[in-house]
Amino acid sequence: MAYPFKHERETRVLTEAFGDPAARTIEGWKKYGGYEALRQALGMSPNDVIEVVKASGLRGRGGAGFPTGVKWSFMPKDDSRQPHYLLINADESEPGAFKDRELLRWTPHQVIEGALIGAHAIRAKHVYIYMRGEFFEPAQIVGRAIEEAYEAGIAGADMMGSGIGIDITLHIGAGAYICGEETGLMNSLEGRRGQPRIKPPFPAVMGAFSRPTTINNVETVSAVPHILRRGPEWYKSMGTEKSPGTKLFNVSGHVVRRGNYELPLGFPLKDLIYDVCGGIRDGRELKAVIPGGSSVPILAAKECDIALDYESVAAAGSMLGTASVIVMDDRTDIIRAVRRMVEFYSHESCGQCTPCREGTEWTAKIMRRIEAGEGTVEDLDTLLDVGRNMTGTTICVLSDSCAAPVASSIAKFRDEYMARMRREAPIDALTV
Amino acid sequence: MAEQKTELRGGNDGWAGERGDFANLSEADVRGESYVGVRPLEGRAAGGACSYPYQLAEKHPDAPLFEGPYHERLEKIRSRYPDAQGALLPVLNLAQEIHGWLSQADMDRVAEELGLSPVYVRGVATFYTMYNKAPVGTWLVQVCTNVCCNLCGADEVMKAFLEHTGTEPGETTADGAFTCIEAECLGACGFPTVVQVNERYFENVTPDDVPAILERLRREAPKQER
Repeated sequence: MAYPFKHERETRVLTEAFGDPAARTIEGWKKYGGYEALRQALGMSPNDVIEVVKASGLRGRGGAGFPTGVKWSFMPKDDSRQPHYLLINADESEPGAFKDRELLRWTPHQVIEGALIGAHAIRAKHVYIYMRGEFFEPAQIVGRAIEEAYEAGIAGADMMGSGIGIDITLHIGAGAYICGEETGLMNSLEGRRGQPRIKPPFPAVMGAFSRPTTINNVETVSAVPHILRRGPEWYKSMGTEKSPGTKLFNVSGHVVRRGNYELPLGFPLKDLIYDVCGGIRDGRELKAVIPGGSSVPILAAKECDIALDYESVAAAGSMLGTASVIVMDDRTDIIRAVRRMVEFYSHESCGQCTPCREGTEWTAKIMRRIEAGEGTVEDLDTLLDVGRNMTGTTICVLSDSCAAPVASSIAKFRDEYMARMRREAPIDALTV
Repeated sequence: MAEQKTELRGGNDGWAGERGDFANLSEADVRGESYVGVRPLEGRAAGGACSYPYQLAEKHPDAPLFEGPYHERLEKIRSRYPDAQGALLPVLNLAQEIHGWLSQADMDRVAEELGLSPVYVRGVATFYTMYNKAPVGTWLVQVCTNVCCNLCGADEVMKAFLEHTGTEPGETTADGAFTCIEAECLGACGFPTVVQVNERYFENVTPDDVPAILERLRREAPKQER
């Protein structure tokens, strides 16, 4: 079976063309119905496009799950005084997430089509795709697709003979996790340090280049052409009532078949792990799952009987986030895994806010000490206290994201921490 | 392409890295199946003008910045932003693409070109990890050791790279070929361990694959003007 693998329980909408390199060209993409939705959208008023997306119930796939149509409707209805911008967030850098990269490298035209439709809806005349710097391969594929779209008269002035003109530019970053935060991304696009901004003003009022701006994730805009073409009712027929549609689940860690699987929202987590991904490697037992990328609280094995939609995962005390499921088997050293995540946040803190700049650093130091078997019970209290002071006290949520896995792992795997204090557990038990 | 190993590792069958034998895989295999392997079209639209890799084996440390075809690229980039400052990151990218790293003189040159103050440009450039503030080897080997790769043994892969190149993290080998560093998440968590070598990803790398990867890179290295 060739990569990327498919599973019979998948509903392949966004991923239909995965594995077909021909879909990277306009001609190939048109065989999948490509650019029909754009033609349709250009014949509609911007408000009508927003209404269709609102009716579909599509929610942002970048992590927060905010309804996309509603977000678009925040944009001013008058663009005569100042230009509007649409930014596509392709700065995928959440540990665990690898869905946008696959969308960009297999279906660049799907992303471009969705972005152009979104730009028309919010009356933007320029789209920037902000892609993380490490993605050189997807950047070349998308860059080529953009030039191809211009040559075919799909982007640029007078798109498809509609009289509407929208430009699209690929922008590649230079390595900073925080540029995936929407206001950090805007600063970085403007040629500044990628430090998040205080909201308000919200991007729809004053965003990139101080103009009204909307920021959408790659996967979000990729769903838009399908919704236009097949109708909001069709989209709502998949998934759950409050979380309609399909979602790319990117599974990593100790499963047999890691990869991206497109499934309707509300799919059971256990089925994803044991059926779609073929179970835990080497016949081991499940120990813990991080359901939405490293920034969300950890779930212990006994909490994993849940459905994967925004509400159900939240009810279980975690978040669906980017649906980046990190699976850990029973040999995993939780302390080491958490320490590594904390080191990441410590490295990526932009340094603007004191609770984050200091908190991530001290949390990392204490976690290192605990991992080495030199921690004390008081350290756990200190970690929780530092974590509380890091939550809700900063401009963006990087600091909260650092505190979440620490607090949840202490709550759920306290025994393991306590055993390490007494130096009973092996320190180097993680490597498989 | 080399003879494929019959025994596939890990279950991601079909993916380049799972076939092992990194020394002889074709470029398309390393890039993923049927990688188009092309630069953007030389379109007049310039929407793809910023999509060139800027961490390459071939470096021209003495070439003047932004002349000839590079000047054309610079102008294309500038045309895509409402102000000069917006073009800062793509122009720094271009400078690093040419020289292989960003010296203070390079940053000053970029500042002059865009009408920004040198200290501002330096402040921005030092924020981002992908700008090399010192020269690096022909091959910059970045091993992801973040949580998903770490769960699958990334620390061992990192150790293997250091052992086989005989370096410390961040140090360049005496022949100027390799600089190995740890990287944060590279966004390919389903294919651990992910190793970025310049503009290329090697995926599903195990410690045993390391000698073959290094051998391949030594063979591919361009003749350098160093």
